[in-house]
Amino acid sequence: MELNAGAGGNGSHKTASERDEVAALESLQFTDEIRRLMSAPGGDNASSFTALLELPAPQAVQLIQSPDSAKLIAAPAPAPAPNVDDFRGSFQFPFNCGLIDRAARFSVFAGDGNINGNNKSNSPEPTSYNSSASLQKPVKNEPAETESSQPLVSDPTVENRSIKRKDREKVKGSSKKSKTSAKESSEDAEKLPYVHVRARRGQATDSHSLAERARREKINARMKLLQDLVPGCSKISGTALVLDEIINHVQSLQRQVEFLSMRLAAVNPRIDFNLDSVFTAESGSLMDSNFSGMVIPMMWPEVQLNGNRQQYPQQLHLDAFQQPVSGREEVCNSYLTPENSLLSYDSSGNSASLHSNQLKMEL
Amino acid sequence: MNPSSLKSRFATRFLRALTQIHARKPICPSSPTEIFRRYRRIKAAADKSMAYSVRSRRTWTGAVLWKLRSRSCGRRSVKTSTLVKSQQAIEKKTRHEKQNKNTTTTTGGHGVGFGVEATASELRELVPGGEAMDYCNLLDETAHYIKCLTTQVKVMKKIADFYSL
Repeated sequence: MELNAGAGGNGSHKTASERDEVAALESLQFTDEIRRLMSAPGGDNASSFTALLELPAPQAVQLIQSPDSAKLIAAPAPAPAPNVDDFRGSFQFPFNCGLIDRAARFSVFAGDGNINGNNKSNSPEPTSYNSSASLQKPVKNEPAETESSQPLVSDPTVENRSIKRKDREKVKGSSKKSKTSAKESSEDAEKLPYVHVRARRGQATDSHSLAERARREKINARMKLLQDLVPGCSKISGTALVLDEIINHVQSLQRQVEFLSMRLAAVNPRIDFNLDSVFTAESGSLMDSNFSGMVIPMMWPEVQLNGNRQQYPQQLHLDAFQQPVSGREEVCNSYLTPENSLLSYDSSGNSASLHSNQLKMEL
Repeated sequence: MNPSSLKSRFATRFLRALTQIHARKPICPSSPTEIFRRYRRIKAAADKSMAYSVRSRRTWTGAVLWKLRSRSCGRRSVKTSTLVKSQQAIEKKTRHEKQNKNTTTTTGGHGVGFGVEATASELRELVPGGEAMDYCNLLDETAHYIKCLTTQVKVMKKIADFYSL
């Protein structure tokens, strides 16, 4: 197997010792196993890659050296740690969507010639990765996407990956391999002051398309927000239909506002709309007139429901209500049905203050 | 009810405006013209109070207020210097945004499918102030506008139900 001489890129991230280590190890142990892995069912490849992606460098090395080590759990990986036996054997790693996502995004490893892109990036990710100009270089120093941002993964499975990739790319065609290397740029968004966009596999990596991709992602995020806002829009797939739905919704809302304002224009304005009159002393006259005593006991439960803040001023007023009202109860009884909601009481002569109180509560 | 929420701010402002409108003229009983006139005023008051109740700076609020002012001024055919200045300021803003739009659509046009542009223009007409924005900001404004419209509808519905018993 060819060894990656670790040439290239910035080459700063991997120390020489690590490279040697990996090289030695792979030469010793894994050639056969990897060939075995190549013949493993294709569907596992993705999952296996992704699981392995998470391995930080020291752990990977440890894995190689101590097969029984259970410390395969990468820091960010939510997946259960793959067993070393699996690693050796059938490569049946648990399929984890998060890992797959990261792998898909991470697709740098196909990395062939585009080393240039890496020079722009500030991430500690290994551009030595890109150094492997051809797929025949089996050992790649692949970055692990850990949130702790450990720079390199010296993964013996890198070799495996590269070989598998070779197969895949033979199948898929050569167009994709050139691109992916460039975009580890968005690695450490936390560390770096500007927003990075991760390139997906097979996507162009020049700055224009990057900016476009960032824009597109922004737009998609906002479309999602809009979908959540508009009821019944989340089921619809496809941008055009969602947009139509949004437009319909906005139109209906605007029409509703118009109808409601028409209603308010037509409503009988005898009632004082002013909320503040509730809490002023001179509104006592308003409260006296047209007061329905049956409302008072019904007021209390609502008052208690709505918390203490509104309770106190209402208590003051309600005490004042008691005296003048007593004479009116029999009159009001005919109008009132206590079982109904508070809204249903005497519409002709209700006090504005009560209205306002209730309106406030409802609002 | 949260005293500082958009809902409560809008509600208080709108109710105040409503009282003013109703107090202004005693209603000559249900003449259609009178109702229509009041309807226009109430709608304007609703839009205005909504625009004022919004805390964050938004393009559509400025556009709404500008439309209201220009409409009312056009009717009275009086243009004060301050109004002209504010209009000019808004025009400058929309011109600036149009320039931005031109520059960004060249790069962004690739991202948005071509068929989307037709619906986007329709959306621009609906959302006040939407003509001069790029697609990304347009979506943003639309989301905020929808949120405010729903609040407005809720409050107005409650008020209308409350008083129309």
